[in-house]
Amino acid sequence: MDDDRRFREIARALLEAEGFVVVGEADGGEAALAAARELEPDVVLLDVHLPDIDGFVVAEKLAAGGNRAAVVLTSTRDESDFGPALYRNGVRGFVPKNELSAERIATLCR
Amino acid sequence: MSTTGLPEGGQAGDRFVATEHAVALILGETALVAEAYPRILEAIANSLAWQFGAVWETVPGAGNLLHCVEVWCSDERLTEFARESRGTVLPVGTGLPGRVWLSGRPAWIDDVRGDTNFPRAHAAVTAGLHAAFCFPIQSARGITGAIEFLANDSRHPDDELLATMETLGSQIGQFVERSRAELAAHEREARLAGILDSALDCIITIDDRGRVLEFNPAAERTFGYRADDILGLEMAELIVPPALREEHRRGFLHHLESGEARLLDRRIEIVGMRADGTEFPVELTITRIPLPGRPLFTGFLRDITERKQAEQELRASRQRLVEAQDTERRRLERNLHDGAQQRLVSLALALRLARERAVGAPKEARDLLEQAAEELTLALGDLRELARGIHPAILTERGLGPALDAVVARSSFPVELVALPAERLPEPIEAAAYYVICEALANAAKHANASAATVGVVRSDGRVVVEIADDGIGGADATKGSGLRGLADRVEALDGALELESEPTGGTRLRVEIPLG
Repeated sequence: MDDDRRFREIARALLEAEGFVVVGEADGGEAALAAARELEPDVVLLDVHLPDIDGFVVAEKLAAGGNRAAVVLTSTRDESDFGPALYRNGVRGFVPKNELSAERIATLCR
Repeated sequence: MSTTGLPEGGQAGDRFVATEHAVALILGETALVAEAYPRILEAIANSLAWQFGAVWETVPGAGNLLHCVEVWCSDERLTEFARESRGTVLPVGTGLPGRVWLSGRPAWIDDVRGDTNFPRAHAAVTAGLHAAFCFPIQSARGITGAIEFLANDSRHPDDELLATMETLGSQIGQFVERSRAELAAHEREARLAGILDSALDCIITIDDRGRVLEFNPAAERTFGYRADDILGLEMAELIVPPALREEHRRGFLHHLESGEARLLDRRIEIVGMRADGTEFPVELTITRIPLPGRPLFTGFLRDITERKQAEQELRASRQRLVEAQDTERRRLERNLHDGAQQRLVSLALALRLARERAVGAPKEARDLLEQAAEELTLALGDLRELARGIHPAILTERGLGPALDAVVARSSFPVELVALPAERLPEPIEAAAYYVICEALANAAKHANASAATVGVVRSDGRVVVEIADDGIGGADATKGSGLRGLADRVEALDGALELESEPTGGTRLRVEIPLG
């Protein structure tokens, strides 16, 4: 879930090549919540910077709604910009966008 | 040929009393010494039948030399002797006035022909003058002058005459001292009044009941009262705003009772009130005048409305400056994040994927690499744009002309450079001109839908003039929008001025003038 189409495309290509099945995409916070409810994925990869509501709020709502998906946050910025707030609401972890890989996600969701 | 010092006929005693009366009358009627002297000489000479009189005083700045300050002659034949006397300077001890000054007692010469200490003897004899007497003018502070008389015959000393003259000398001496002291006091008062009148600050004096004693012209102008109208009225009613009056009165009273001087002799900023009731900021210093008896207080006030406004403007412009910097930084960060960084991130993933695909799916890998190369070029372009936005290197290195050429080349609509200075200008001015032009063209494109613009930079008369005119919809307002305000700040920081003409009917013209050096 990322508002940058280019990134969604390349991330999908990379993750599928590495063995994940990508069941859906969303380009905004509300769309993300709707997709997560409908598709019930195992993992949700969520950009912190979304145009309408940011990734933290989406994670909070997902947790509040009882969604079972493992939430992984990502961003162009790195972890030190966010601090401990990152790990609230059951968020499994954070990966900087340029270090994205199937292995990284799997490690965080174990 | 000798006679006593008296004219024929009449009682000796009467004559002296008459002389004393005459002199007393003169001293009572006259204020100025210069007026009194000739009249005194005339009165005494006529009363006692002497033909020549003169007053001697010390030369100003040379206390041991005497000169003649006033003469009186009974007729024209003595003018020559008068002139001689006028031109004579006698050291103390020399001549008739000199010896009187030295001894402090009157002196008598029967006939100047026989006197060894009379430098003017020759001139006197030529004028037919023989007898002479002289007495000191003195006051409690000492001798201030000597008065001499000469007669056209030789005469014997008259003790009673000399005694009378000694008395007169004392009376005249006191008169001279008092008169000169009064004159000095008047002159000093006039000088002080001159200072009060011409002072730019308001100077107001009050007594220990707070009533106005003095109100100088500057105070009249500043507060709008005429001094004559308000002397004796309570100052607090006149110039202290109603809300502050009680506190002022309490403080004043407290000072009078306790002697505590918290507010004296310091600069204080308070609010004053004009005659029409309007209030304004005032800088005030109060001082207590140390006179015996009841104290007086003088306040020196200055209307600081303009200064306060200037301070406020300074604060506001500093704040704008800091805000502008912060806004710019945020903009940069966002540009980097949304632009180059995004591209590079996708690039990183694409390259990883390409590496994984290189062996098993070489065509896919090649496509990915091609896309990556394009993305990289675009990312570089983004970064270059950004760097130019932060600081265009071409401006510093090659100057305003080439920098503007580049701006024009990148512009989305045609821009004509109608005038450029032949030589480099000081860096801050080139930077200001550059940013003004960039901002103006950006506004023209973004807000005014312009289709063409002209830019001119001209150096003349010790100033640089920048003009940008576009053909877009007008209606730009320099007071709204931080972009133009920021430009105005930048221009004003160089002591320049920015003018905006923008009719709603169309077209905007921006003109900036910055002084050189």
